[in-house]
Amino acid sequence: MRPHSIRGFLVALVLLALAWTAPALADETCNSPYMGNLIKAQEDYVYVWTLGVKGVGDGSDKLVTIDANPSSARYGKVIHKVSVGGRGEAHHMGFTDDRRFLWAGGLDDSRIVVFDVGTDPARPRIVKRITDMPKRTGYVGPHTFYALPGRMLVQGLSNGKDKGGVTGMALYSNQGELVTTYAMPTTEGGDGYGYDIAINPRKNVLLTSSFTGWNNYMMELGKLVANPEAMKRFGNTMVIWDLKAFTPKKVLAVPGAPLEIRWSLKEGDNWAITATALTSKLWLVKPDANGEWQAKEVATIGDPAKIPLPVDISIRNDGTGLWVNTFMDGKTRYFDLSNPEQPRQTYEKVTGKQVNMISQSWDGTRVYISSSLLANWDKAGADNEQFVRAFKWDGKELIPAFEVDFNKEKLGRAHHMKFGSRAMKAAYPDAPLASAR
Amino acid sequence: MPRPLLHTAAWLVGGLTLGGLALAGPVWGHGDEARDQPPPVKADFTPPVPGTYTLHPIMRAPSGLVVGLDRRARPLAELTTGKITLLSFVYTRCRDAWGCPLAYRVFDAVGTAIERSPALRSRVRLVTLSFDPRHDTPAVMRQYAGEQSTRGLDWRFLTTPSEHALLPLLRGFGQDVRAPVTGGPDEPEQLTHTLKVFLIDPRGVVREIYSTAYLYPEVVVADIETLRLERAAPVGGTVRARPTR
Repeated sequence: MRPHSIRGFLVALVLLALAWTAPALADETCNSPYMGNLIKAQEDYVYVWTLGVKGVGDGSDKLVTIDANPSSARYGKVIHKVSVGGRGEAHHMGFTDDRRFLWAGGLDDSRIVVFDVGTDPARPRIVKRITDMPKRTGYVGPHTFYALPGRMLVQGLSNGKDKGGVTGMALYSNQGELVTTYAMPTTEGGDGYGYDIAINPRKNVLLTSSFTGWNNYMMELGKLVANPEAMKRFGNTMVIWDLKAFTPKKVLAVPGAPLEIRWSLKEGDNWAITATALTSKLWLVKPDANGEWQAKEVATIGDPAKIPLPVDISIRNDGTGLWVNTFMDGKTRYFDLSNPEQPRQTYEKVTGKQVNMISQSWDGTRVYISSSLLANWDKAGADNEQFVRAFKWDGKELIPAFEVDFNKEKLGRAHHMKFGSRAMKAAYPDAPLASAR
Repeated sequence: MPRPLLHTAAWLVGGLTLGGLALAGPVWGHGDEARDQPPPVKADFTPPVPGTYTLHPIMRAPSGLVVGLDRRARPLAELTTGKITLLSFVYTRCRDAWGCPLAYRVFDAVGTAIERSPALRSRVRLVTLSFDPRHDTPAVMRQYAGEQSTRGLDWRFLTTPSEHALLPLLRGFGQDVRAPVTGGPDEPEQLTHTLKVFLIDPRGVVREIYSTAYLYPEVVVADIETLRLERAAPVGGTVRARPTR
């Protein structure tokens, strides 16, 4: 194979790996603004939505609970796990607005599992399964789970008709009943693709990003690499929506598959940031002097020629800093966002042979990292580390705190993380979904 | 199988009573001084024109026995149908500025707008429903209501005859009440909740739910006007608002 062909192959490999990357909504600062009950003190638990691996443990996708409170005798240990039965490409999760329930989805089987985390936050349990999303909505690949008051907004990645990238959002009541659907725009520059959801209620703005469809994110690597047309089918847009009316207002051109979206939570700030996977850039979304929403590239993540593959970001609660995980080089980078127009990298550390999700505590002093990108695209052999690693952050250095080896524990591939707290225990154990099992 | 309502540990453990809500503070309140400040009420945007957007049916409002200021028990459904209803759960001893006091302020502002609108005055009802029946008796609710219940506005102040009667309402609306653990076994347990305000159409179907981050009187009034403008449609289906002249 000629050098440029090898390089082309590697680029394709990384791009495709990226196509499988679906991070986001991992940390406390990225939760929906409708969740008033953020954990701003010490988190007690880290819930890990884990991909089952055939022959490893029970081989099933599962929700793993890790004790994350240093004052606990079981600190850093797995204290609970609940299997869902089967493998559906477990991927992302999201809390309901009252934080009593945790919705988790599978990108392949398009099933949604609802866990009760309010009755006993240390021991989540399955209370509902939604298995008819493709049939009821036409969308597949439930990716982002975003809380609205009394409802969950679910972003699909694809559709059941041609399994391409044109998709939409499905709105469910917290009880799990479908309320309505919203198609991603395909006119006025829209490509119809979807990925992440982030809301700025003060401005009545819902912001979405775009990725790729089931045909791409489920295709075997070799086939996709050999299919240049398929490699072109990635999202290149973000959309500004009128939140109240739930109608698209403006399509922003953001080439290179813009993934996670983070609004600055600092009072008075009015901007969001995202990372483009294919081009390894940070983009800023904010209004211009005329109040018109615009998107512009503001920074580069690593050396794009080396394809670092940014896969997750986590913003500080005051909007002054951003963690960026890059899968291929296993690095965790920190960007100073004091001037969001000019982010500046100030720190980097290799935190694993492959790293994916990153979550930080509300105060930013604790950082958690998981390893898995997607089942078919994680690295092989000794590089296929599967873990959740916790670090302390003193502003200068990431200091290891604990690690759970998901291979050794026969759990599977560690993907999405959310925090839990004993303080979130519901007063009424017989919650609305408890009888809907 | 649902547990017997009053057999839940939440009700039986000493100190964990609804009366304990009086002690409730923000569970996230560790140094979060911002929450002690009055929240902004005015929206930082212009709401869309009433009737140009859709409020989708979310769920049917549950029913159960409630008690008014006249101490008479009646089904809540009598007060969530026939008019456009704005309903919020509160407890009168709530001190979280972003919680019940905010709901009161918003209801007061919405009420003022309704009073000034001949088209809405007879079509809208406000309901403030306590989830602290042990403390919030009809007499306490009367005091809480002040002059609001006599200002010519259909603003009902309700409680429930018992916790047993309350729980199905909380469950049906999806109104949470949490029991955060804040200290050792000797420390009183506290409760708190997520503020939710429910907009219910005359058929008794919840059409919008607001919480602290998006509770603006002008938005609520626009939604009320949207419901007034819409044509009748089967409950459970998508309802498209239609502007009228």
